[in-house]
Amino acid sequence: MSVLKFSFVLLVFLGLASQLSVSIVLAQTSEAEAASALATSENAVFSAYQAVLKAEEAGANISSLLVPLNEAGWFLNHAQIAFKSGDFDSALEYATQCQEELNGFATDADVLKENAIYEHYMDFFVNVAGPIVEAVSVVCVSLIIWFFLKREYGHAGSVVDESS
Amino acid sequence: MVMLEVLLMSLHEYRVLLMAITGILVLLIASPALSRLLVFPRTEYFTELWVLDLNHKAENYPFNVTRNHSYNVFLGIGNHLGHCAYNLIEVKFRNQTQSAPNSLNRTYSSVPALYNITAFVEDEGTWELPLGFSFEYYYSEMFSCVKLSNLTLNGVNLDLNNYAIKWDSGKKVFLGNLFFELWIYNSTLGSFQYHERSVGLWFNMTTF
Repeated sequence: MSVLKFSFVLLVFLGLASQLSVSIVLAQTSEAEAASALATSENAVFSAYQAVLKAEEAGANISSLLVPLNEAGWFLNHAQIAFKSGDFDSALEYATQCQEELNGFATDADVLKENAIYEHYMDFFVNVAGPIVEAVSVVCVSLIIWFFLKREYGHAGSVVDESS
Repeated sequence: MVMLEVLLMSLHEYRVLLMAITGILVLLIASPALSRLLVFPRTEYFTELWVLDLNHKAENYPFNVTRNHSYNVFLGIGNHLGHCAYNLIEVKFRNQTQSAPNSLNRTYSSVPALYNITAFVEDEGTWELPLGFSFEYYYSEMFSCVKLSNLTLNGVNLDLNNYAIKWDSGKKVFLGNLFFELWIYNSTLGSFQYHERSVGLWFNMTTF
Protein backbone atom coordinates (compact mmCIF):
# COMPACT_ATOMS: atom_id res chain seq x y z
CA MET A 1 0.00 0.00 0.00
CA SER A 2 2.74 2.42 0.99
CA VAL A 3 4.63 1.52 -2.18
CA LEU A 4 1.52 2.37 -4.21
CA LYS A 5 1.12 5.69 -2.38
CA PHE A 6 4.78 6.50 -2.89
CA SER A 7 4.53 5.62 -6.59
CA PHE A 8 1.44 7.82 -6.96
CA VAL A 9 3.08 10.79 -5.24
CA LEU A 10 6.20 10.29 -7.31
CA LEU A 11 4.18 10.21 -10.52
CA VAL A 12 2.31 13.38 -9.59
CA PHE A 13 5.58 15.11 -8.68
CA LEU A 14 7.23 14.03 -11.92
CA GLY A 15 4.18 15.22 -13.87
CA LEU A 16 4.24 18.64 -12.23
CA ALA A 17 8.00 18.92 -12.60
CA SER A 18 7.83 18.10 -16.31
CA GLN A 19 5.07 20.69 -16.85
CA LEU A 20 7.05 23.28 -14.96
CA SER A 21 10.19 22.60 -16.95
CA VAL A 22 8.22 22.75 -20.22
CA SER A 23 6.70 26.11 -19.25
CA ILE A 24 10.14 27.48 -18.29
CA VAL A 25 11.56 26.36 -21.63
CA LEU A 26 8.55 27.90 -23.42
CA ALA A 27 9.00 31.19 -21.56
CA GLN A 28 12.72 31.28 -22.42
CA THR A 29 11.97 30.56 -26.06
CA SER A 30 9.41 33.32 -26.10
CA GLU A 31 11.89 35.83 -24.68
CA ALA A 32 14.57 34.81 -27.16
CA GLU A 33 12.08 34.98 -30.00
CA ALA A 34 10.87 38.39 -28.89
CA ALA A 35 14.45 39.69 -28.60
CA SER A 36 15.29 38.36 -32.04
CA ALA A 37 12.12 39.79 -33.59
CA LEU A 38 12.79 43.12 -31.88
CA ALA A 39 16.35 43.27 -33.26
CA THR A 40 15.09 42.37 -36.74
CA SER A 41 12.42 45.08 -36.54
CA GLU A 42 14.95 47.69 -35.38
CA ASN A 43 17.22 46.85 -38.31
CA ALA A 44 14.25 46.94 -40.69
CA VAL A 45 13.26 50.42 -39.49
CA PHE A 46 16.84 51.73 -39.76
CA SER A 47 17.21 50.23 -43.27
CA ALA A 48 13.88 51.74 -44.30
CA TYR A 49 15.02 55.13 -43.00
CA GLN A 50 18.25 54.85 -45.03
CA ALA A 51 16.16 54.02 -48.12
CA VAL A 52 14.02 57.12 -47.48
CA LEU A 53 17.15 59.30 -47.16
CA LYS A 54 18.48 57.97 -50.48
CA ALA A 55 15.15 58.58 -52.22
CA GLU A 56 14.99 62.07 -50.75
CA GLU A 57 18.56 62.79 -51.86
CA ALA A 58 17.54 61.83 -55.40
CA GLY A 59 14.80 64.45 -55.14
CA ALA A 60 11.80 62.16 -54.60
CA ASN A 61 8.69 63.26 -52.74
CA ILE A 62 8.89 60.94 -49.75
CA SER A 63 5.58 61.83 -48.09
CA SER A 64 3.97 58.54 -49.15
CA LEU A 65 6.86 56.58 -47.60
CA LEU A 66 6.56 58.27 -44.22
CA VAL A 67 3.07 56.90 -43.50
CA PRO A 68 4.08 53.21 -43.28
CA LEU A 69 7.41 54.19 -41.72
CA ASN A 70 5.70 56.08 -38.90
CA GLU A 71 3.34 53.14 -38.41
CA ALA A 72 6.31 50.78 -38.23
CA GLY A 73 8.00 53.12 -35.76
CA TRP A 74 4.90 53.07 -33.58
CA PHE A 75 4.84 49.25 -33.56
CA LEU A 76 8.57 49.10 -32.82
CA ASN A 77 8.12 51.53 -29.96
CA HIS A 78 5.39 49.43 -28.40
CA ALA A 79 7.40 46.26 -28.95
CA GLN A 80 10.28 47.82 -27.01
CA ILE A 81 7.96 48.92 -24.19
CA ALA A 82 6.37 45.47 -24.00
CA PHE A 83 9.79 43.80 -24.01
CA LYS A 84 11.05 46.02 -21.19
CA SER A 85 7.99 45.21 -19.09
CA GLY A 86 8.49 41.48 -19.68
CA ASP A 87 5.45 41.03 -21.90
CA PHE A 88 7.28 39.02 -24.56
CA ASP A 89 4.16 37.85 -26.36
CA SER A 90 3.06 41.43 -27.03
CA ALA A 91 6.64 42.39 -27.89
CA LEU A 92 6.78 39.60 -30.47
CA GLU A 93 3.38 40.58 -31.87
CA TYR A 94 4.27 44.27 -32.19
CA ALA A 95 7.68 43.45 -33.68
CA THR A 96 6.04 41.17 -36.25
CA GLN A 97 3.51 43.89 -37.15
CA CYS A 98 6.39 46.34 -37.53
CA GLN A 99 8.12 44.01 -40.01
CA GLU A 100 4.84 43.43 -41.89
CA GLU A 101 4.34 47.18 -42.18
CA LEU A 102 7.70 47.44 -43.92
CA ASN A 103 7.11 44.59 -46.38
CA GLY A 104 7.91 45.89 -49.87
CA PHE A 105 9.05 49.21 -48.46
CA ALA A 106 12.55 49.01 -49.99
CA THR A 107 11.05 48.35 -53.43
CA ASP A 108 8.68 51.33 -53.13
CA ALA A 109 11.56 53.56 -52.03
CA ASP A 110 13.71 52.33 -54.95
CA VAL A 111 10.90 53.01 -57.45
CA LEU A 112 10.47 56.53 -56.08
CA LYS A 113 14.23 57.07 -56.23
CA GLU A 114 14.51 55.85 -59.85
CA ASN A 115 11.54 58.00 -60.89
CA ALA A 116 13.08 61.00 -59.16
CA ILE A 117 16.42 60.48 -60.94
CA TYR A 118 14.63 60.24 -64.31
CA GLU A 119 12.53 63.35 -63.55
CA HIS A 120 15.66 65.17 -62.42
CA TYR A 121 17.37 64.47 -65.78
CA MET A 122 14.27 65.47 -67.71
CA ASP A 123 13.96 68.62 -65.63
CA PHE A 124 17.61 69.44 -66.32
CA PHE A 125 17.19 69.05 -70.09
CA VAL A 126 13.86 70.89 -70.27
CA ASN A 127 14.47 73.68 -67.78
CA VAL A 128 18.26 74.19 -67.72
CA ALA A 129 20.09 72.83 -70.77
CA GLY A 130 17.23 73.58 -73.20
CA PRO A 131 16.78 77.27 -72.28
CA ILE A 132 20.56 77.85 -72.27
CA VAL A 133 20.89 76.37 -75.80
CA GLU A 134 17.87 78.40 -76.93
CA ALA A 135 19.30 81.61 -75.45
CA VAL A 136 22.68 81.03 -77.17
CA SER A 137 20.80 80.36 -80.43
CA VAL A 138 18.93 83.66 -80.08
CA VAL A 139 22.24 85.52 -79.56
CA CYS A 140 23.75 83.79 -82.63
CA VAL A 141 20.73 84.63 -84.79
CA SER A 142 20.90 88.26 -83.60
CA LEU A 143 24.61 88.44 -84.52
CA ILE A 144 23.88 87.00 -87.97
CA ILE A 145 21.09 89.53 -88.46
CA TRP A 146 23.40 92.30 -87.25
CA PHE A 147 26.22 91.35 -89.61
CA PHE A 148 23.72 90.98 -92.47
CA LEU A 149 22.24 94.43 -91.75
CA LYS A 150 25.69 96.00 -91.38
CA ARG A 151 26.84 94.54 -94.67
CA GLU A 152 23.70 95.59 -96.50
CA TYR A 153 23.80 99.10 -95.06
CA GLY A 154 27.53 99.43 -95.79
CA HIS A 155 26.88 98.34 -99.36
CA ALA A 156 23.98 100.81 -99.64
CA GLY A 157 26.18 103.58 -98.21
CA SER A 158 28.90 102.98 -100.83
CA VAL A 159 26.26 103.02 -103.59
CA VAL A 160 24.99 106.37 -102.28
CA ASP A 161 28.57 107.71 -102.12
CA GLU A 162 29.28 106.68 -105.70
CA SER A 163 26.03 108.20 -106.98
CA SER A 164 26.67 111.50 -105.14
CA MET B 1 25.13 112.63 -98.37
CA VAL B 2 21.89 113.31 -96.58
CA MET B 3 20.61 109.85 -97.53
CA LEU B 4 23.81 108.22 -96.09
CA GLU B 5 23.30 110.01 -92.78
CA VAL B 6 19.72 108.79 -92.69
CA LEU B 7 20.87 105.24 -93.43
CA LEU B 8 23.64 105.33 -90.74
CA MET B 9 21.24 106.67 -88.17
CA SER B 10 18.84 103.89 -89.01
CA LEU B 11 21.62 101.32 -88.66
CA HIS B 12 22.46 102.64 -85.20
CA GLU B 13 18.82 102.49 -84.25
CA TYR B 14 18.58 98.97 -85.65
CA ARG B 15 21.56 97.95 -83.54
CA VAL B 16 19.91 99.26 -80.37
CA LEU B 17 16.62 97.66 -81.30
CA LEU B 18 18.29 94.34 -82.09
CA MET B 19 20.23 94.37 -78.81
CA ALA B 20 17.09 95.18 -76.82
CA ILE B 21 15.04 92.44 -78.51
CA THR B 22 17.89 89.93 -78.10
CA GLY B 23 18.35 90.82 -74.44
CA ILE B 24 14.64 90.51 -73.65
CA LEU B 25 14.35 87.23 -75.56
CA VAL B 26 17.44 85.77 -73.87
CA LEU B 27 16.11 86.70 -70.42
CA LEU B 28 12.68 85.26 -71.18
CA ILE B 29 14.02 82.03 -72.63
CA ALA B 30 16.68 81.53 -69.96
CA SER B 31 14.38 82.40 -67.04
CA PRO B 32 13.68 78.72 -66.09
CA ALA B 33 17.42 78.05 -65.95
CA LEU B 34 18.11 81.31 -64.11
CA SER B 35 15.43 80.54 -61.52
CA ARG B 36 17.37 77.40 -60.63
CA LEU B 37 20.78 79.02 -60.62
CA LEU B 38 19.92 82.24 -58.80
CA VAL B 39 18.65 80.67 -55.57
CA PHE B 40 19.98 81.72 -52.19
CA PRO B 41 21.35 78.67 -50.38
CA ARG B 42 19.75 77.63 -47.08
CA THR B 43 21.96 78.51 -44.17
CA GLU B 44 19.78 77.78 -41.13
CA TYR B 45 19.04 74.21 -40.18
CA PHE B 46 17.01 73.62 -37.06
CA THR B 47 14.17 71.70 -35.45
CA GLU B 48 11.11 72.95 -33.60
CA LEU B 49 9.52 71.16 -30.67
CA TRP B 50 6.31 72.39 -29.10
CA VAL B 51 3.51 71.67 -26.68
CA LEU B 52 0.18 73.42 -27.32
CA ASP B 53 -3.16 73.43 -25.56
CA LEU B 54 -6.38 71.96 -26.99
CA ASN B 55 -6.98 75.15 -29.04
CA HIS B 56 -3.50 74.91 -30.56
CA LYS B 57 -2.38 77.90 -28.52
CA ALA B 58 0.35 78.37 -25.93
CA GLU B 59 -2.16 79.61 -23.35
CA ASN B 60 -4.42 77.29 -21.41
CA TYR B 61 -2.07 74.58 -20.29
CA PRO B 62 -3.22 72.37 -17.45
CA PHE B 63 -1.55 73.33 -14.17
CA ASN B 64 -3.70 72.30 -11.22
CA VAL B 65 -4.09 68.58 -11.77
CA THR B 66 -6.17 66.12 -9.81
CA ARG B 67 -5.60 62.40 -9.57
CA ASN B 68 -7.06 60.21 -12.33
CA HIS B 69 -8.33 63.18 -14.26
CA SER B 70 -7.44 63.24 -17.94
CA TYR B 71 -5.70 66.22 -19.58
CA ASN B 72 -4.98 66.83 -23.23
CA VAL B 73 -2.28 68.74 -25.09
CA PHE B 74 -0.63 68.59 -28.50
CA LEU B 75 3.01 67.65 -28.95
CA GLY B 76 4.59 68.72 -32.24
CA ILE B 77 7.81 68.75 -34.24
CA GLY B 78 8.84 71.01 -37.14
CA ASN B 79 11.74 69.78 -39.24
CA HIS B 80 14.03 72.29 -41.01
CA LEU B 81 17.17 70.15 -41.10
CA GLY B 82 17.34 69.83 -44.87
CA HIS B 83 16.53 66.13 -44.79
CA CYS B 84 13.97 63.69 -43.41
CA ALA B 85 14.59 63.23 -39.68
CA TYR B 86 14.07 60.17 -37.47
CA ASN B 87 12.99 61.78 -34.21
CA LEU B 88 12.74 60.19 -30.81
CA ILE B 89 10.93 62.04 -28.06
CA GLU B 90 11.73 60.83 -24.56
CA VAL B 91 8.89 61.43 -22.12
CA LYS B 92 10.20 62.08 -18.60
CA PHE B 93 8.84 63.17 -15.26
CA ARG B 94 10.69 64.85 -12.40
CA ASN B 95 10.21 66.82 -9.24
CA GLN B 96 11.92 70.15 -8.49
CA THR B 97 15.09 68.56 -7.14
CA GLN B 98 15.71 66.07 -9.93
CA SER B 99 17.88 66.64 -12.98
CA ALA B 100 16.45 68.86 -15.72
CA PRO B 101 17.56 69.37 -19.32
CA ASN B 102 19.84 72.39 -19.50
CA SER B 103 19.57 74.63 -22.56
CA LEU B 104 22.74 76.56 -21.64
CA ASN B 105 24.95 73.52 -21.13
CA ARG B 106 23.01 71.68 -23.86
CA THR B 107 22.61 68.63 -21.68
CA TYR B 108 19.69 66.30 -21.23
CA SER B 109 18.11 65.20 -17.98
CA SER B 110 19.57 62.14 -16.29
CA VAL B 111 16.07 61.06 -15.22
CA PRO B 112 15.17 57.80 -17.00
CA ALA B 113 12.66 58.00 -19.86
CA LEU B 114 9.18 56.69 -19.06
CA TYR B 115 8.11 56.38 -22.66
CA ASN B 116 9.47 56.95 -26.15
CA ILE B 117 7.66 58.44 -29.11
CA THR B 118 9.17 58.10 -32.57
CA ALA B 119 8.33 60.26 -35.57
CA PHE B 120 9.72 60.46 -39.08
CA VAL B 121 9.31 64.02 -40.33
CA GLU B 122 10.19 65.15 -43.85
CA ASP B 123 12.19 68.30 -44.52
CA GLU B 124 10.08 71.44 -44.03
CA GLY B 125 7.35 69.21 -42.65
CA THR B 126 5.56 69.16 -39.33
CA TRP B 127 4.26 66.34 -37.17
CA GLU B 128 1.81 66.54 -34.31
CA LEU B 129 0.45 64.07 -31.78
CA PRO B 130 -2.50 64.58 -29.42
CA LEU B 131 -1.42 63.57 -25.92
CA GLY B 132 -3.91 62.50 -23.28
CA PHE B 133 -2.53 61.89 -19.82
CA SER B 134 -3.59 61.40 -16.23
CA PHE B 135 -1.73 60.88 -12.96
CA GLU B 136 -2.42 58.44 -10.18
CA TYR B 137 -0.97 59.57 -6.87
CA TYR B 138 -1.71 60.02 -3.19
CA TYR B 139 -0.65 62.23 -0.35
CA SER B 140 1.57 60.54 2.19
CA GLU B 141 1.04 62.11 5.59
CA MET B 142 3.95 60.16 7.02
CA PHE B 143 6.47 61.78 4.64
CA SER B 144 4.44 64.95 3.96
CA CYS B 145 4.80 64.46 0.25
CA VAL B 146 2.90 63.37 -2.83
CA LYS B 147 3.74 59.82 -3.89
CA LEU B 148 3.09 59.00 -7.50
CA SER B 149 2.15 55.55 -8.65
CA ASN B 150 1.14 55.78 -12.28
CA LEU B 151 1.07 57.99 -15.36
CA THR B 152 -1.32 57.01 -18.12
CA LEU B 153 -0.16 58.46 -21.42
CA ASN B 154 -2.33 57.86 -24.49
CA GLY B 155 -3.70 54.72 -22.87
CA VAL B 156 -0.30 53.32 -21.89
CA ASN B 157 0.30 52.83 -18.16
CA LEU B 158 3.71 54.04 -17.03
CA ASP B 159 5.14 53.18 -13.65
CA LEU B 160 5.91 56.15 -11.37
CA ASN B 161 6.28 54.20 -8.13
CA ASN B 162 9.68 55.66 -7.26
CA TYR B 163 8.57 59.24 -7.74
CA ALA B 164 7.70 61.59 -4.88
CA ILE B 165 7.12 65.33 -4.74
CA LYS B 166 7.87 67.41 -1.69
CA TRP B 167 5.87 70.45 -0.60
CA ASP B 168 7.14 73.74 -2.04
CA SER B 169 6.57 76.02 0.92
CA GLY B 170 7.34 79.17 -1.10
CA LYS B 171 4.79 78.53 -3.84
CA LYS B 172 2.59 76.36 -1.62
CA VAL B 173 2.27 73.62 -4.22
CA PHE B 174 3.45 70.09 -5.00
CA LEU B 175 5.24 70.72 -8.29
CA GLY B 176 5.81 68.00 -10.87
CA ASN B 177 7.34 68.47 -14.28
CA LEU B 178 6.33 66.39 -17.29
CA PHE B 179 8.81 67.10 -20.06
CA PHE B 180 9.81 65.93 -23.49
CA GLU B 181 13.35 65.70 -24.87
CA LEU B 182 14.07 65.52 -28.58
CA TRP B 183 16.66 63.05 -29.86
CA ILE B 184 17.51 62.59 -33.53
CA TYR B 185 18.92 59.51 -35.21
CA ASN B 186 22.38 60.09 -36.66
CA SER B 187 22.67 57.69 -39.58
CA THR B 188 26.47 58.16 -39.71
CA LEU B 189 26.95 57.15 -36.08
CA GLY B 190 24.03 54.72 -36.10
CA SER B 191 22.57 56.04 -32.84
CA PHE B 192 20.25 58.68 -31.44
CA GLN B 193 21.78 61.95 -30.28
CA TYR B 194 20.26 64.57 -28.01
CA HIS B 195 19.14 67.47 -30.19
CA GLU B 196 19.17 70.09 -27.43
CA ARG B 197 15.45 70.64 -27.60
CA SER B 198 13.09 70.08 -24.71
CA VAL B 199 9.68 71.31 -23.68
CA GLY B 200 7.67 70.60 -20.59
CA LEU B 201 4.72 71.38 -18.39
CA TRP B 202 4.70 72.07 -14.66
CA PHE B 203 1.84 70.72 -12.63
CA ASN B 204 0.52 71.40 -9.17
CA MET B 205 -0.46 67.96 -7.93
CA THR B 206 -3.48 68.91 -5.87
CA THR B 207 -4.25 66.64 -2.97
CA PHE B 208 -7.91 67.41 -2.25
